[in-house]
Amino acid sequence: MIRFEDVSKHYDNHTALRKVSFSVERGEMVFITGPSGSGKSTLLKLIYLSERADEGSVFVSGWEINTMRDSDVPVLRRKIGVVYQEFRLLYNMSVFENVAIALRIRGVDEREVKARVFDSLKIVNLRHKSDNYPHALSGGEQQRIAIARAIVAEPILILADEPTGNVDPDTSAGIIRTFKEINARGATILIATHNRELFRDTGKRTLKLDFGNFVGEGIG
Amino acid sequence: MSLPYSFRVAISSLLHEKWINFLSMLTMAIGLLFTAITLLTVYNIDLMTKKLPEKFSIMLYLKDSLAREEIDTLIEGIRQDPSVDRVFFIPKDEAFRELKATLRNTEYILDGLGENPLPNSIEIKLKAQLLGPESVKKLTAKLKEQAGISEIEYGEKFLASLHSVRKGMNTIGLVFLIVLSTGMIFICYSTVKILFYRKDEEIKTYKLLGATKGFIRTPFLIEGAVIGTGGGLISCITLVSLYYTFIFKLSQTFPLLNSMYFPVELFLALPAAGLLLGIAGAIIAIGRIRY
Repeated sequence: MIRFEDVSKHYDNHTALRKVSFSVERGEMVFITGPSGSGKSTLLKLIYLSERADEGSVFVSGWEINTMRDSDVPVLRRKIGVVYQEFRLLYNMSVFENVAIALRIRGVDEREVKARVFDSLKIVNLRHKSDNYPHALSGGEQQRIAIARAIVAEPILILADEPTGNVDPDTSAGIIRTFKEINARGATILIATHNRELFRDTGKRTLKLDFGNFVGEGIG
Repeated sequence: MSLPYSFRVAISSLLHEKWINFLSMLTMAIGLLFTAITLLTVYNIDLMTKKLPEKFSIMLYLKDSLAREEIDTLIEGIRQDPSVDRVFFIPKDEAFRELKATLRNTEYILDGLGENPLPNSIEIKLKAQLLGPESVKKLTAKLKEQAGISEIEYGEKFLASLHSVRKGMNTIGLVFLIVLSTGMIFICYSTVKILFYRKDEEIKTYKLLGATKGFIRTPFLIEGAVIGTGGGLISCITLVSLYYTFIFKLSQTFPLLNSMYFPVELFLALPAAGLLLGIAGAIIAIGRIRY
């Protein structure tokens, strides 16, 4: 599903990723771990093409995406569900509308939108807050809206950047449980986190980064 | 992409920023109103000046020595010119009779002359669409080379000033149209650009979620179109009100205004122009979307 071949990414004054190579199989749930600034977010950004690699090749579902044309980027992004570290919710829209936008962008019929949004909100336990606005909800609830939006279109790949960064331990455990359930339905999931508690005893593969270098892998 | 959804987003955004949008609509209306008044004035002056050539003619005064057959040949030659519409031969006797009729009570002035002093003449009417100082000059130059013509007379100055007035009014109209259209595009551009900046984060999120350029652009284009069309409708209503309030009332004092023509096409043209200018402004404001 995902393959990195000697990928490097440089910024003005530092190197975020240095010759990183790894692969993730379809249906896997993998944790990218490492301290803050190790390059986890950059790695995810290279997958949804918010950034482009300076060297090496990035393959997603068989496509070499680093050389992908600008006009094809939306096509790739519609195949991926992303949970952003900063949520990226639309604060002038209700919870329902925030989740529905992912389907509307994909041109899903309006009659289908309602049912799928409610299904998705049910998974993250926010069905009863569909009419609320994000700013009226807690950090953890906002995080769960972002997850509902990422999964509602049933993408082949879900990326989550520090998905528990703003929530308490109980909510974190709940979010990881949700991801495991989604993974059990067949979606490939890549979670970037610095929180060891999150992947401990999950039995899932972990890839460790440090200062932009790939330093090894293990099982959580 | 769902068009009803884009409309919903656009309408909600227009209502959310209703005052700035209403102000843009009013500014558009004022611009369109000035443009329409200018065009209406230019159009009516053009219409009036187009009617004047019907009265314009070239007079050829012929030498007495010219025989009737030679006159017919000359007339036939003139008729061949592509700028000529009609040619009339005025025999000297008929011209004298007309002169007498014109003088009526003072015809005794002519008694002392004894014989008819007027020459035979030919009156040439030109095709209205080909009437201009250049075409007339060309034709008269050709006629001057013909034998048997003693004098050519036409309103050279009148024709030149008529042509200048028409040309000048068209230029003024065109300049007004360009300046005001640019201004109106700028109004729509600024409105949409402000909205676009305010929604910068929202647009970034849309892009990250995989929205196509069309999905992002359409609500802004609809907003531009609504502002433009709204401005067009307001200007149309104002123009009709002004026309009936002022021109209609003033024409009772100044009958010349009665002939002022108000093309009904303006009812459609103003909102349509607003729509196009609004969309043009929005397109420029959004610019290129990059991922």
